[in-house]
Amino acid sequence: MEFPGSLFPAFCSAGPPRDPPGPGPAPLAGWGGYGHVQGPGPSQPQERFIPLHSKKGESWAPAEACAVPFLPPNASCRVPTLTPHDILYVGHIQRKHQVGKTGGAALDFTGQLAHFFLDHPEEAFGAMGRLLQENFYLGEARLRSKARENAISVKTLVQELGRREGRRHCPQARPSPRLRWFSCLSRDWLFEVPLGPLAECIHEELALQWAKLLFDDASTGGALAWLPTEDLAPAPRGCLVHPGGEAMNLLCFQEVALEQVGGALQPRAHGRPAQFELSGRIRQVAAAQVAGEALVGVRSDHHCGAWRLRAGAAPVPLQVIRTDAPASCLTVSPHLPGELSVCTLSGAVYLWNVETGLQRLRQDPETAFFREASPWRWSEFTAHPRVLSCADRTGLQCLDVRAPASRQFDLFKVGGEAECQRGERVMLPMYLGRAHPCQHLVATQFSVYVLDERFPLVPVLRWEHMLEAPPVFAHLTPGRSQETSHKVLLGAHRTQELLLLQYSGGSHSACQLAGPPRRLHPISQGLQHLPPQVTPWQDLLHQRLTAPAAGVTAAPAGQGPLEPLLVFQLSDAGDLFYQTLLHEPPAESESSAAPTSPPSLPAPAAASQPSPAWGASLGSGSEESVRLPGTVSEGTAEAGQAAAPEEARPSVGPTAPSPAAAARYRCWLKALIRDWSRLPEQSQPQAPPTISHQRLFTHGELSQPAGDGLYRQARQLLRRTMRERGCLAPWALGPPPTPPAMPHPVEPGAWPDDLSKRLTASWAGGWGEWWEEKLGVTRAHKLHALRDRRRRLKQARSRRSLSGSFTSSITYQSDLSDFSACSQPPSEPPGQAREEQQPPAPVCRQDLSPPRAGRGDLPPAPGQFWPASPLASSSQRSAQEAWGSQDTQDSSQLLSSQTLSSRGIPKERRKTLRDYLAICTQPCPEPPAELPASQASSLGSQHWGPSSQSQRSTASQPRRKRPRMGF
Amino acid sequence: MDSFVEQLKRGTEEEFTEESAWDGSVVNTTSSSLPAIYLPLLPRYLRHPTTRGRKATEFQETKKACLNYIQDALLQHQWQRAAEFMTNYLETLENTSAEKRMAAPEVIWRIGTEILCHHSKSSIEEFNYFAERMKNLGVKRYLKVCLEHVFHLLCNGLIDDAYQNLSLAEGWRYGEQTAAQDKELKLIQAYKGLLDYYNWDKKRKAMLELDGNFADSVEQEMHSFFRQAAVNLKEIIKIPGVWDPFVKCYVDLLEFYEDYDEVRQVLSEYAYNSKFPPNPNAHVYYYQFLKRQGESKKTLMSVLKILHEIVPSHELMLEYNAMLQKSKKRKNHRLGLEIIFTLLDFAGWKEHVKAWSCLAKQIKQILENSSKHLDWVTEEWNSRKDWWPAFHFSHYLAKRNWQENESLACEKALVAGILLGKDCKYFKYVSHQGCKAKKEKFRTMKKFVKKHSSTHLRASGVLDSCTPL
Repeated sequence: MEFPGSLFPAFCSAGPPRDPPGPGPAPLAGWGGYGHVQGPGPSQPQERFIPLHSKKGESWAPAEACAVPFLPPNASCRVPTLTPHDILYVGHIQRKHQVGKTGGAALDFTGQLAHFFLDHPEEAFGAMGRLLQENFYLGEARLRSKARENAISVKTLVQELGRREGRRHCPQARPSPRLRWFSCLSRDWLFEVPLGPLAECIHEELALQWAKLLFDDASTGGALAWLPTEDLAPAPRGCLVHPGGEAMNLLCFQEVALEQVGGALQPRAHGRPAQFELSGRIRQVAAAQVAGEALVGVRSDHHCGAWRLRAGAAPVPLQVIRTDAPASCLTVSPHLPGELSVCTLSGAVYLWNVETGLQRLRQDPETAFFREASPWRWSEFTAHPRVLSCADRTGLQCLDVRAPASRQFDLFKVGGEAECQRGERVMLPMYLGRAHPCQHLVATQFSVYVLDERFPLVPVLRWEHMLEAPPVFAHLTPGRSQETSHKVLLGAHRTQELLLLQYSGGSHSACQLAGPPRRLHPISQGLQHLPPQVTPWQDLLHQRLTAPAAGVTAAPAGQGPLEPLLVFQLSDAGDLFYQTLLHEPPAESESSAAPTSPPSLPAPAAASQPSPAWGASLGSGSEESVRLPGTVSEGTAEAGQAAAPEEARPSVGPTAPSPAAAARYRCWLKALIRDWSRLPEQSQPQAPPTISHQRLFTHGELSQPAGDGLYRQARQLLRRTMRERGCLAPWALGPPPTPPAMPHPVEPGAWPDDLSKRLTASWAGGWGEWWEEKLGVTRAHKLHALRDRRRRLKQARSRRSLSGSFTSSITYQSDLSDFSACSQPPSEPPGQAREEQQPPAPVCRQDLSPPRAGRGDLPPAPGQFWPASPLASSSQRSAQEAWGSQDTQDSSQLLSSQTLSSRGIPKERRKTLRDYLAICTQPCPEPPAELPASQASSLGSQHWGPSSQSQRSTASQPRRKRPRMGF
Repeated sequence: MDSFVEQLKRGTEEEFTEESAWDGSVVNTTSSSLPAIYLPLLPRYLRHPTTRGRKATEFQETKKACLNYIQDALLQHQWQRAAEFMTNYLETLENTSAEKRMAAPEVIWRIGTEILCHHSKSSIEEFNYFAERMKNLGVKRYLKVCLEHVFHLLCNGLIDDAYQNLSLAEGWRYGEQTAAQDKELKLIQAYKGLLDYYNWDKKRKAMLELDGNFADSVEQEMHSFFRQAAVNLKEIIKIPGVWDPFVKCYVDLLEFYEDYDEVRQVLSEYAYNSKFPPNPNAHVYYYQFLKRQGESKKTLMSVLKILHEIVPSHELMLEYNAMLQKSKKRKNHRLGLEIIFTLLDFAGWKEHVKAWSCLAKQIKQILENSSKHLDWVTEEWNSRKDWWPAFHFSHYLAKRNWQENESLACEKALVAGILLGKDCKYFKYVSHQGCKAKKEKFRTMKKFVKKHSSTHLRASGVLDSCTPL
């Protein structure tokens, strides 16, 4: 256990977190930088410098296009996850004062109240209803005089209520005066539970649900664990521990073997899982293997349990503890068998030994370093078996079990030492003992840190992870040898993001990030590869696949350092998915990445389209599956369009998944739909409204004989689909449409007309040249130009002297060019646009200064970019050459009518100007390149006198320039 | 549902700007519609689900989508694809939103650097060109970009180019510096000092090889490099932080010129100044320096004592233990025993043969010396007897240790036999296996354990309370 001889340099200032420039981290702050470097030591031979964030590392890539289902869907899970739709109010809320502006979420508690009143009228109004029964008359007839003494007729009231119910979603509906009157009258006494407190309670509960929807820390740590068995023959085996069942309260121990099937690694479940039904939802499953046996800790809200698992034997439950406050953490000791640590939301930390019981180490509702409202606590084991780390949102402290009060030290603190940012909070600590006994991982919502216990407070590695949601799951796969890196999987809850990080070092060399991180497929990626289903199934599928993640774990396929890695993912609905990570040899990685990249920008909408080939195969599979009774009808066919796109994360869709994966998905989908249709009617989602086809077509239209083949075919297909209550997919009409082939490259010679030539020329970048040639070649034009030239020579001479007089002053000229520089967008630095082949913003720049020979500082004119931007794949170098060759054509290019019009020169004057310029450029050649810019510009300005004058008349020029012109 | 989200997504631009002023560190407990944790990347429609406000312009939307594509491509290591999107993303420099326009150069620099680092067709010239452009994309980022550019050059072995860049950046001045820029400038100077040191080192080697005439001029150059390096390195070492590479080089420089007082001062400052983080290496460097100087054992031990307090699991503790054993004081022997026990508490030392043999030797010595100090062992053992058996001396470990490392098993078995008695599983297993293999040392070990464990430790009450495994 050596300590690295030389750590990477870092500033270290104690104190509060530094202020970020804006709220949160800079976007994509994790890319680009090397962090720091260090060179070879004084006595070492000359080596290369090594960076903190190394750009070179092992390259791992998923083998499939999406995560593939591992086990059949969790049949009994039918409680959909909460969505914002369920609890938010949409629409205008008239607020007198903008109190809740920071938290703009308007909770629809009135809607919930209404549901309650409608669904449970007996509970809501029972007593008062019975009391008033005699006095309220509901009949149609008028009340007689005798009866009117004690009863009132509420006929109109009921009618109005009914009418109102029909217009419930109409924004213009206003309550009638009678209803208002009645509600004012009865508000105080009608309700069984007083309306005010009831509404408050509901609002409070909704607010709680909303906060949970935004960020839920209950599932921190993840409810999925992999326990490898030691004997590896014939295939590596292990036990997957995961929750399942209706409320995720069934603990399953599933024996799994990792088998090579047709060249790909596949997990295969062996036998029935050992199941234990628990009394609460399983939040976390923690496991560790000590001394040849595995201890599995299971945390639900108020109970924690421990199981022992020996190779070849059934899991044995050991002990259960109950906590008053909900438990927030459960970790298993990697050092001693039968030891766990438990934290509760009341701020208590316990060491739990399954033999001796609980030992409370700390009970402190306050956070460690500064005040923070969150009661979340976490605890992990450290390199010393008697020292535990205790975390809250503000940092980590280590305390000795033998003397918890006196012996403790700070391991990590949200503050200046770790270069934290404001608002940064600890999300998940993890002990990296399997990689290095002294290392810990701390994930915040912005960054991940690797800490060394021997050098507390200052992280040895820090990296911005750029995840959308804070990471709450992590899994470590330690590197097998010194050379291979340790792999850390970071997972987020709501967004299902999964990131693979690699790092190395810790004992002989300092810790280093090894290579760029890699995103793994979220579960919802499968949605893009599935064919469209009929609406209810589609909704169900969407709901199942986009459910938040609940855990992640990984299993290496063998003992070798570069064996494939199997990553298991668990969703909140209890479905298990897996994906295989393969190591790519370094040389291959580039070439294999390149072909998958589409040559052009794929439209976001296109990305969400299912791949036709696979879609068809899946579609045919689902046709055979169980039909849905009575929920699908003819009218819904068109609604089952493509899967809802995930706008936030555009997908790449490397390729369609392999047939084996597709088959697995098909089976899974079939099982999902079968299970779902077996559910009792009321737990199924509401069927969409159905309409009869008789409302769409008249009887005559329907009985009309179909015309030609295609129509008849289409109609037959439609009828069949309706009969089968299936989904009419577009490609069902014929063979799957092949993607449009790339058009053949245009042969310029085949298009002899003017327009085509001009387009070709402008595409290739020689627009101006072509135009000039066109002007020159046409004989009539030439003659015309000559005549014009002669005619205007006299006028020009006088003008030239004029212009010469006012542009002769160099200071004026420089002012002008300054002005033109100012008129450019300020943020655009000189030369930036050129370098990056950036088409400039289509602004019509008031470019008063004439074009100069040395156009070093000026961004090129709009037309110049055309050659570069459509062929964006051309390298920067070639683009530069293109620019270089363009420089000589500038003046001629300015003659094009488009350029002139962009300069605000009226149409009728363009011709004149063009001819005039032709004169100017012909006798005196372009300013030589050796001329200094100022000279060249003054030279140019002389030729350009009239144009600038004419511009001045059209485009309002600042008048203050005039006095300096020498007049 | 999707239309609902769409509706929500039409968040207000005005509110976004207000949002940016919202203090993230203040936890809003009263308004429960916000999460308890500051989540900057929470989709805005979740934070501001109102239907008021205007939509973001199409330009913004496109650029946002483009950035997402780039990020996606980067995260999947599709560098070519990212580069293609990048050409379209550059327009964001003209972004109409001032906030985004300000952030754009940094984003472009970061993404561009990453792509150029990995793209198969990128070359160092292209990288240099890009970096030069990026340096001029904003004064605030100049030093940062310079520094990262230098790092890239250094990692690719272009030390001379890096040196040139550092010299340029060192002289850069622009108005008032922010705190971050100040730090970056310090780092640039320090790295320049580091490169000066390497140059100096080269000259030194050259000088040793050359004979008289040329050596003078080389020596002159060497001295000038020394001066430059020393000034810059000394400067950075004063600031609190982790400066291991710089300190090492600075010490090497000074030691060459035999300025030992300065070295002593620098190293003791680096190790003992409370403003500096508790870096174990600082103590190691100081200790190694003192050792090179041939300082007395007492001084060396005092340095290691402090290191022991900070990092009881440091590998120098074995050396410390050896020193303590050699000393004549009884107190030191006691301390040595404590240190070796503490060392073996840590998971990283669990299978360290040397540490175990140290412990075995010391316990043996104590037992052989008429067991006068048996209470030392007893005391150490008392605090560990409830967990060491499971941690070190389980049957499983006996099997594994015997398979993997016989000598380790042997040392551990001796300790286990003495501490836990001859009935403990570890000792039994190993001695049984050893006797089967007919090795002499196991027989002597068995004899020794039988002789001592029963009489001495049991007599002192050590074994009564511990449960045999």
